[in-house]
Amino acid sequence: MSASLGEEEQQDRTASLNKPTDSAGGTSAESPHVASDVLRRLGLAILAITLSFVVSAIFIAVSGKNPALAYWSLIRGAFGSIDSVAFALNKSTPYVLAGVGVALCFRARVINIGGEGQIAVGGIAASWVALSGSALPGFLLIPIAILAGSFAGAIWAGIPAAMRLTRGVHEVLGTLLMNFVGVLLVSEALHGPMGEVGAGFPQSPLFPEQAWLPALIPGTDLHIGIILAVIAVIVCHVGFWHTPWGFRLRLIGSTETAAAYAGVSVARGFARVMLLAGALAGVAGSVEVLGVHYRLIQGFSQGFGFNAVAIALLASLNPAAVLPAGLFFGFLEAGALAMQREIGVPSSLIYVIQGLTMVFVLCALGISSRRQRV
Amino acid sequence: MDYAVLIELLSASIRIATPLLLVALGGVISELGGTFAVGVEGMMLTGAFGGAVTALVTKNLMLGLLASCICAVLLAAVIAVATVKFRADHMVTGLAANILALGLTSFLLRGLFGGKAPVMGLPTIGAIHIPWLSELPLVGPILFGEPLMTYLAFLLVIPVHWFLRHTQAGLTLRAVGENPEAAFSVGANPHLIRMISVMACGVFAGLGGATLSLQELGTFTDGMTNGRGFLALAAIIVGRWMPFRLMWGCLLIGAATALALNIQGWGLPVSSYVIQMTPYLIALAVLCGIGRKARMPAAIGKAFIRN
Repeated sequence: MSASLGEEEQQDRTASLNKPTDSAGGTSAESPHVASDVLRRLGLAILAITLSFVVSAIFIAVSGKNPALAYWSLIRGAFGSIDSVAFALNKSTPYVLAGVGVALCFRARVINIGGEGQIAVGGIAASWVALSGSALPGFLLIPIAILAGSFAGAIWAGIPAAMRLTRGVHEVLGTLLMNFVGVLLVSEALHGPMGEVGAGFPQSPLFPEQAWLPALIPGTDLHIGIILAVIAVIVCHVGFWHTPWGFRLRLIGSTETAAAYAGVSVARGFARVMLLAGALAGVAGSVEVLGVHYRLIQGFSQGFGFNAVAIALLASLNPAAVLPAGLFFGFLEAGALAMQREIGVPSSLIYVIQGLTMVFVLCALGISSRRQRV
Repeated sequence: MDYAVLIELLSASIRIATPLLLVALGGVISELGGTFAVGVEGMMLTGAFGGAVTALVTKNLMLGLLASCICAVLLAAVIAVATVKFRADHMVTGLAANILALGLTSFLLRGLFGGKAPVMGLPTIGAIHIPWLSELPLVGPILFGEPLMTYLAFLLVIPVHWFLRHTQAGLTLRAVGENPEAAFSVGANPHLIRMISVMACGVFAGLGGATLSLQELGTFTDGMTNGRGFLALAAIIVGRWMPFRLMWGCLLIGAATALALNIQGWGLPVSSYVIQMTPYLIALAVLCGIGRKARMPAAIGKAFIRN
């Protein structure tokens, strides 16, 4: 029994090793096999979303509302006007930025679920720069603020990474606990040095206007953050599939023993991918405060980190697919708020849809391909 | 520090440790069976919700406790099916279950009561003073003047320890967590045992949640568990998957939190947010201190594939 199991594991390893090498070659990328793989993953995502909408419809019905009306209101709310589309795109921006980092982490089997804390401290750092650099012109202030945010996010991810590598503390627990500390740091900053005196809500003073992210389309709320998100996705996609760094990452993700055999340092790969994801989450936090609120507010990162995980999964951990998955969740959220206003269905339904989608995707990933385990 | 403060501090430690201990006892059953218990946070939250809503509607605390178990077990069943039958990743499935719990409880809290969250002022489970024993100096008021769930949590450590150490079922459970193939070869059914262990974990986590909503606060608010499930996971590692040791882990986190809350009253220039960070920082510090000495069950997180 154990012998046959060992053999199966062997095949499993060969299979998982073959896949990255195939795609790294690049020449075979257009083969029908790869195309069918993309279709399969797309089908999987659509199936998971459909199932979770069906199950959520039951909950809507339980709460005494008409699911069809609710979903119709959700769709209209998401796509109904230019303002709602702008709102949805702004919502998607931090999700995509943080989500692409999570996808890369999961690919290397690093379960970084500390997005929320990393986004929170990223927002603090960007706010601090924006508030204290009012003498600088915008074209300097904004990049410095975003850089500061990414740096802070990377530090926040680096701490649990160091705990894992030096003390063996599992990154799941490390990042989860750091989330709570990061979110409380926002409150601490707002009740201390960065708070606005006399405001009824814990928030910082408004940033100087040159620190606001410029509008992408004049006359709407849509800011240029979405461009950053698209660039991040492209860079991560190319980096992951077409560079030695990406190859090492995929090697670590498929089998650590093979990676070690090939001379790839698993520890270094672990640290790098965590820092990268933290930096991206930090950018997400910066973009949120600089582009949407124009100030640091308490709870601005609420649920963002878990959203990022849901999006990475929905994208089957494919960096390029994070963009549509993130847009989907952004529009879903915009629609859910409209649904709450019009039909009275609580907008927390989106967390139900997210959670269910994740469960379904995980189940499908679990049984469908044994080479791609999260 | 005078006598009254000491008593207050120690009994607060025990009070804070109670929900953690219940959840950690459940978590250890799940993890020894080979399933990571990241979903306990969500199970705890559904338990707190089910307990509070049932107690609100039926005006019966005992029915509330029962409902908290049932709700948490339902969520545990989702995790069990996903991880065992579909071989989904344990960590991320647990996280998904937590998000699902957060969404469902928040949604149903409003949806079931006509769109607005009801105001709950539930009568809480009161302290039970054990006659004679509670008269003892120092230990009396601390150990024998506690509410029901606290007695239950600390008494449950003994049967859980005994079950895991001295019963065949407990040994089989641990065998499945260490080496499911070997357990299978001697006739155990690893899939079934893991499903049961995750759902048993749900019973404990549900009670832990009910402790929060029905004993501590008398109400339910969105996301009220606030990471306590994760603290319980830290306590499990601190206790190296042993019930008595993890009890001390929970008490340590409880004591640190109680002390931090107490310091707030001393008028030191420390903000309440720094105080609120204490349990998480303590947990991280202790985990770092333990380092690699903690050895988790060998087959934890690995799917058993029958061939």
